Amino acid sequence: MPLFEVENLTKRFGGLTAVNNVSFHVDEGDIIGLIGPNGAGKTTLFNLITGFLKPDSGTVRFKGEDITRLEPHKIVNKGLARTFQVVKPFRHLPAIANVIVACLSPRASKKLEWLKSPERKALDMLELVGLSEMMFEPAENLAHGDLKRLEMARALATEPDLLLLDEPFSGLNPIETDFLTKSIQRLHLDGYTMVIVEHKLHALMKLVKKVIVLHYGEKIAEGSPKEVSHNKKVIEVYMGRVA
Amino acid sequence: MIKMVGALLRRIYSSFATNILDVPPRLLAFLLLMVLLFLPVARLDLYILRIVTIALIFAIFAASWDLLVGRAGQVSLGHALFFGIGAYLSAYLSRFHGLPLWATIPLSMLFCALVAVLLGFPCLRVKGPYLTLVTMAFPLILAVGFFALDPPFGGEGGIALTRAQRLFPMEALYPQRVAEYYLILFLLLVSAIILYKIANSKTGIVLVSILDDESASKACGINVTKYKLLAWAISAFFAGLAGCLYAHYIQATPPTTVLGLTTSFYPVIMTILGGIGTIYGPIVGAFILWSLMEFTLWVLTDFFQFIPFIANAGDELRIIVYIGIIIVFIIKWPKGISKFVVEKLDELTEKRELDERKKK
Repeated sequence: MPLFEVENLTKRFGGLTAVNNVSFHVDEGDIIGLIGPNGAGKTTLFNLITGFLKPDSGTVRFKGEDITRLEPHKIVNKGLARTFQVVKPFRHLPAIANVIVACLSPRASKKLEWLKSPERKALDMLELVGLSEMMFEPAENLAHGDLKRLEMARALATEPDLLLLDEPFSGLNPIETDFLTKSIQRLHLDGYTMVIVEHKLHALMKLVKKVIVLHYGEKIAEGSPKEVSHNKKVIEVYMGRVA
Repeated sequence: MIKMVGALLRRIYSSFATNILDVPPRLLAFLLLMVLLFLPVARLDLYILRIVTIALIFAIFAASWDLLVGRAGQVSLGHALFFGIGAYLSAYLSRFHGLPLWATIPLSMLFCALVAVLLGFPCLRVKGPYLTLVTMAFPLILAVGFFALDPPFGGEGGIALTRAQRLFPMEALYPQRVAEYYLILFLLLVSAIILYKIANSKTGIVLVSILDDESASKACGINVTKYKLLAWAISAFFAGLAGCLYAHYIQATPPTTVLGLTTSFYPVIMTILGGIGTIYGPIVGAFILWSLMEFTLWVLTDFFQFIPFIANAGDELRIIVYIGIIIVFIIKWPKGISKFVVEKLDELTEKRELDERKKK
């Protein structure tokens, strides 16, 4: 049984079908890329999976359990965490408090190790993403790259079994991209299962084993990075039709 | 034995010195408390004592509003609802059922919290400015309801209470008012400490996260609705306390006052004046607003006695004057006066420490 399964998921906004009959599955320990041009429905798909939007039809199954129409916070507490494409920090709170909020969720507090406080755990998470020096800095003073990492730390603090990263590389400079690639690889080695939405194919292709390509809400290809990059349909979508 | 007591006292003093005397903002708060403690000893005029007491009641009310708005970001412009319900319920129970105040006041406070939770379920479906508009409607509707139901709610004057239903039913006027003053000051202190502790606890952090970004809060696995309801309930609980105290202090529950728009707006003005999200800010704001109101009244009616045109309309004109002054304050210190003072004091202490280091 796969860890996570999406079956025939469909979402319409008025006349526009943002996600059309998409199915895929993720096995434990997988690291999967979700790509596609602008407006392909990648973020909508994430929002459907994580409960921020309700699908018109289809099912989402996680560890064999139907989680399709659950509220976002319940899904997170089942072990499915996400980050946002546009960073959503808690501006008034210092970096560490941003992570403490996630450490206070029911799932995280239940999984808290013996004699460990939420604060201590939040600090560990900041260390993991390399932000511990900024722990007392209010989030509104942090740079964009740091906020991206904060977003990661927050998602990791909820103790996810599956992590959905929505464009983790957007707006990062090459050094930050490199650092993040390494962190994601390390997380993968630690056994995290991940689905990554990304525009920057270069950074992504190095990371993932399997790629899913969306176009106008439909899945047009699935396979290893090599297969996909040689797929005619995919080349057409990205480069335009050869005249 | 004497040695032990001495050691204990020394310990208390040293913790007092490090925790209060060495932290300038806390020292300031401590001094304010001392002033309030010794105010009635100076045998104040009864009128002034009454003004200060009512300012204390509104300070509780404003602090409760600050937890809801400054922390959880649930902008309510209808907080008078809980003030009014607290006032009416406590007055009703004590007047018509003869219950003692130590029972009616906690009961009314709990009932206010219950009302907040029950209203919260449907109302929290709307957010932001829409929520604000919805909250505004409730006290106005309820006020009309109380107006219409003359028996038992007494129409325009509300439920009239007798001296027996005051907080301290004593014979002598002055000692009674002083006792009431101290009781209300004590309750303010207790509520402020509880609200401050909640605002700065882990629950407070979660509330701020909801204020900053609700969907990110959800993505952290936080049950946002539960925390919002909790904030509403706690806030209503203390707003209800303020309402009860007010009803028993003025011995009436006039619906246009306890459920009026002005009452809903007082905590807004006090909080923004004093500093939003601090809990101590609104308390400072309450004293500033009340002294401004009384001062402008005194200036307009007594000082301008020779101009009957102004002196006769003093009660109405003062609103224009004190609102004008408040607007200037808010433009000058947009973060609130108490925050401004705290920041200034922090700067000064830092400067002093730097100077000392340089000397070495």
